[in-house]
Amino acid sequence: MSYTKFYILTLYLVLIICSALFIMKEHYNIAILLILGNMLPGYALANSLLRENEN
Amino acid sequence: MIDEQIYRRFNHTIAACFVVYFLFPSEILGLQRSYFIILFWLLVVAIEIARLTKGIKILGMRDYEKDRIASFVWFASGSCLLLGFYEIGFFPQSLVIATIIMAAYTDPVIGEATKKWGDKNGIICGLVCSFAIYHIIVGVLFYSIIGSIAAVIAERPKIKWFDDDLAMQIIPMVILFALHWYDLGPTLVEDGMIIMEGI
Repeated sequence: MSYTKFYILTLYLVLIICSALFIMKEHYNIAILLILGNMLPGYALANSLLRENEN
Repeated sequence: MIDEQIYRRFNHTIAACFVVYFLFPSEILGLQRSYFIILFWLLVVAIEIARLTKGIKILGMRDYEKDRIASFVWFASGSCLLLGFYEIGFFPQSLVIATIIMAAYTDPVIGEATKKWGDKNGIICGLVCSFAIYHIIVGVLFYSIIGSIAAVIAERPKIKWFDDDLAMQIIPMVILFALHWYDLGPTLVEDGMIIMEGI
């Protein structure tokens, strides 16, 4: 399970870095799409992880 | 336990980050960046071979994927093909970017919408999602309409050896490229080059 958590955290990091790079290069439309498209599943997954930690 | 359905969805949508490839410098460690497409694809195939032959369990796999090629391989293959054809000089950059992001988001959107509101509404949500993505990136109504319809049609058939993750990238891209190549559609904004330079 710890591998999975590490992998998920890596995915969040990849998303943040990619979005930041597109913002830096002023490709705001792509950056916004990356953030908005991943926000909902990303949030739901984070919730799922937190619930698992509580248990 | 982590909710596997949400985990699968997030793994799907995060694939939109493949487009960061266009920000890479043309050479990395003395190698042309296009070689990294092949390296990445080989890595994905190696993981899949290990999973199928050694029975390695990967979280988020569907039951029917136990003895057949997993969807992440189909998706990665589609994206690598699109990037490869861009590097050869065929596919326009804006269409490739839009198609990869569209495929990453539209498939989960159709899946979730179908589950919640039924088949017809799933198709409508898929059309709206893919149209919006094409229009935000490509910015040409003609390509947005054709691309979104092609993507949703490509998602429908469930064929064992031609997964929708690959079909949703290849079919719309080939149709849009043919329209662009034979001048059957309007000119692309900036001739399809929206990212001029990498980091």
